[in-house]
Amino acid sequence: MNAIEHLRDTLRAIVGPAGVISEPTELRTYECDGLAGYRVTPALVVLPSSSAEVAEVVAACHRAQIPFVARGAGTGLSGGALPVADGVVVSLQRMRAVLEVDPTNHRAVVEPGVTNLAISQAASAYDLYYAPDPSSQQVCTIGGNVAENSGGAHCLKYGFTTHHVLALEAVLPDGTLVWLGGDSPEVAGPDLRGLVVGSEGTLAVVTKVVVRLLRKPETVRTLLADFPSIEQAADTVTGIIAAGVVPAAMEIMDQLAIEASEAAVGAGYTLDTPAALVIELDGPADECGELFETVQKICHANGTTKIRIAADDTERARIWTGRKAAFAAMGRISPNYFVQDGVVPRTRLTEALSTIAAMGAEASLRVANVFHAGDGNLHPLVLYDESRGEHDRAEKLSKAIAELCVDLGGSLSGEHGIGTDKACSMPVMFGKEDLATMDRVRRAFDPDGLCNPGKVLPTPRLCGEKPGPYRPHPLEAAGVIERL
Amino acid sequence: MSSSVSDRMQARDVPTVRPSDLRQARDLMFEAARSGQRVLLHGAGTAQSWGAPVGDVDVVLDTTGLDQLLAYNPADMTVAVGAGMSLAALQERLDGQRVALDAARIPLGATVGGLLATADGGPLRATYGTLRDLVIGVTVVLADGTVARSGGHVIKNVAGYDLTKLFSGSLGTLGLVAEVVLRLHPLPEATATLAVPCDVAAGFAHATALLACPLEPVALDWHEGRLLIRFEGTRSGVATRVRKAVALAASGEVLEGADETAVWQALAGTVVGGDGDTVLRAGTRPDLLPQLAARLDALTTGPSVKATLTSSVGIGVHTVRLRGGQPAEHAAVLAGWRSEVLAAGGSVTLHQRIPGLDELVGSWGRAPATAPLLRALKKRMDHDERLGPGRFAPWFA
Ligand SMILES: Cc1cc2nc3c(=O)[nH]c(=O)nc-3n(C[C@H](O)[C@H](O)[C@H](O)COP(=O)(O)OP(=O)(O)OC[C@H]3O[C@@H](n4cnc5c(N)ncnc54)[C@H](O)[C@@H]3O)c2cc1C
Repeated sequence: MNAIEHLRDTLRAIVGPAGVISEPTELRTYECDGLAGYRVTPALVVLPSSSAEVAEVVAACHRAQIPFVARGAGTGLSGGALPVADGVVVSLQRMRAVLEVDPTNHRAVVEPGVTNLAISQAASAYDLYYAPDPSSQQVCTIGGNVAENSGGAHCLKYGFTTHHVLALEAVLPDGTLVWLGGDSPEVAGPDLRGLVVGSEGTLAVVTKVVVRLLRKPETVRTLLADFPSIEQAADTVTGIIAAGVVPAAMEIMDQLAIEASEAAVGAGYTLDTPAALVIELDGPADECGELFETVQKICHANGTTKIRIAADDTERARIWTGRKAAFAAMGRISPNYFVQDGVVPRTRLTEALSTIAAMGAEASLRVANVFHAGDGNLHPLVLYDESRGEHDRAEKLSKAIAELCVDLGGSLSGEHGIGTDKACSMPVMFGKEDLATMDRVRRAFDPDGLCNPGKVLPTPRLCGEKPGPYRPHPLEAAGVIERL
Repeated sequence: MSSSVSDRMQARDVPTVRPSDLRQARDLMFEAARSGQRVLLHGAGTAQSWGAPVGDVDVVLDTTGLDQLLAYNPADMTVAVGAGMSLAALQERLDGQRVALDAARIPLGATVGGLLATADGGPLRATYGTLRDLVIGVTVVLADGTVARSGGHVIKNVAGYDLTKLFSGSLGTLGLVAEVVLRLHPLPEATATLAVPCDVAAGFAHATALLACPLEPVALDWHEGRLLIRFEGTRSGVATRVRKAVALAASGEVLEGADETAVWQALAGTVVGGDGDTVLRAGTRPDLLPQLAARLDALTTGPSVKATLTSSVGIGVHTVRLRGGQPAEHAAVLAGWRSEVLAAGGSVTLHQRIPGLDELVGSWGRAPATAPLLRALKKRMDHDERLGPGRFAPWFA
């Protein structure tokens, strides 16, 4: 019996025969995540139903020295849950219980396979909700959110997953079950919970999550403003922030994105406007009303051509449907697309967008933009047609756009993660010592390199012997910050 | 407070080095590594007494020369500074903006790096968190002279591991925090505090009722027989919310201006403590407050030790100050109260102690299940265990 067959039997003994998948056709279901361009068939998939089972499964992999990859709903967009050939996928889909909603302490305890939206639904009876709201919230799991430190449209005001997770129960790569963090944000010693949030499943398998719940705001006010140019929409965003207003969300869509979204869901956006800006304020009613006036004035000062104010929840939901559908709707206007997730300082949004447009024109490819304007998180969608041999050109453009964001003083990724997709671009953003230090952290957790190997940090196998030269951070180049 | 450690180092003739930029800091750390020197990282010295006492060291690295304002981008609401800059000094240079942190040590000169390494926070923590939540980029120098950066200059960023989190609460044992990039928030147009007199159980009940309403207080703290409820926002917005909160409480005094400042300063005074006090901080599930307060009362029935407890009620962060009495009494209270907190799944960090306490009781409670992991991290970051030796003993070296 080979090592995998042996492990298969061990895993069957832990989770029962129905919890282990080894049929090649069934394994194919797990060959990729939301970034379907990368595919690897795993040797086994295991579906544990409890923390104890996860711990036993991981311990068994550790004993056999076989790599494993945790998987939630597989909606990740960076190849984070991409299986390792000859490795095991640990699917958390059977662990979907909301274990506790505690209105007094404003928190919930959930299993990792619970969807993001299910938490807010469970909390809703108490007028509470879970703040981070990725567009994929109906399907993506809290375990995946923790791994990616996921964001959403409302993160400008409320922060990301890391600001809303109090504690994690996690299985370390040797099978030890531990709690990280605590019932209060005050814990003794280094913040291990914070380190694991955003580590893309490379440090531990999360088996329970304690999340903070927020009181639902008294009021929510939403508007959709059209602008004659993306620049004017971006300037509006800057103006609002400069006025000291912190909206819950500020989202921009360009004309291509609107076209796609309208074709898919018809939310009533203006088809021929070059840019649309969704602004949402929430909070105490009086204050919200006051600031909503301020925001409209700033829109007018920047030349808005039309403001549509959501009169009720239904209309508000419609505006958001238009925004949230933009991604998935790209299929309506292009057979294929790549999506990027780079971040630029808010003040460089205009520059970034015009450079991206020029790069698109040069490559003869269309680029649609729909993005979290308040925090400078772009989502350029490079549209292409595989059948016309545009794949490689589009991929190159897409990568160049991510790296442009770093050049402008930003980041390769705001929320989708590095995963497999951008690991080889990491040397554009980080120096050798930075990456080596991150690797030290990884090895402290996982000295044998079994936990989601090949993700986040570049490896020679993945990226070639030399992971590319380090390019100094622009602030470093300008002498503002120093490497040394 | 901190003077004990600094005095001790001085008495032992431990040399101090004071780098004034990242390059010098790197060179000094590298030099210390080459000669195998044990290093005490020292900012303004306002929290040198946190955790367990540091053992013998060969050199003190004073970070306060790393005090440059490296880049301030008001429109992006970010600022990059040397980690040795005091947060109070930084605050003065910001225009209509703030680092939304109000830890009690800030007016004493606490440095940005020190505030990150201690994960310290004040009442605003309930809304804005600690520096772990406000730092968006960090540059550290490891024990062997490795200079490593994580994060960056944008508020949203998931590229790579977040070393900020690892260094948050590390108390100078994993490396030197040399540079920090912070996210800023707008200064509020208006603030006001409602002070409601009550005992701690009633305070907790009232806080719970308040938090069930959409009034969004920024801070909610119990201190010296009053629940303090602070609001920030627009002038008219704050006025409206205060009015609603008063109606809900059916009693209480609205404080603004100097009166408001004074009441929060008094709270900070408890947290900072004075010479000869023992101060500890605990984190627990918020609803344990009444039980923990009662336990503290029971442990301090004697005449000599006076215990003062203050708590950020919504998030379960409690600070206890013991004043007066003998070391043995402080030790008994610490041990007794800590075991109650730990049994309830919480944590306790000692901030300062009455002289003689260390002979009677350990600074840290029983080791957490993560101790082997902490040890592994320590080994990877500081292989020869030369930084702040003993600070986390016996959890790790
Ligand atoms: C249409 C669409 C819209 C999206 N919109 C957003 C958005 O607005 N904001 C945003 O941030 N993201 C967005 N995403 C990306 C994606 O939904 C998030 O990254 C999400 O958090 C992934 O969750 P998942 O359960 O699908 O995780 P998976 O894709 O299954 O896994 C993602 C990563 O998490 C790890 N992982 C999963 N579960 C665990 C666990 N229990 N323990 C340890 N590691 C684990 C995996 O190993 C992998 O590295 C979107 C994706 C799609 C397809």
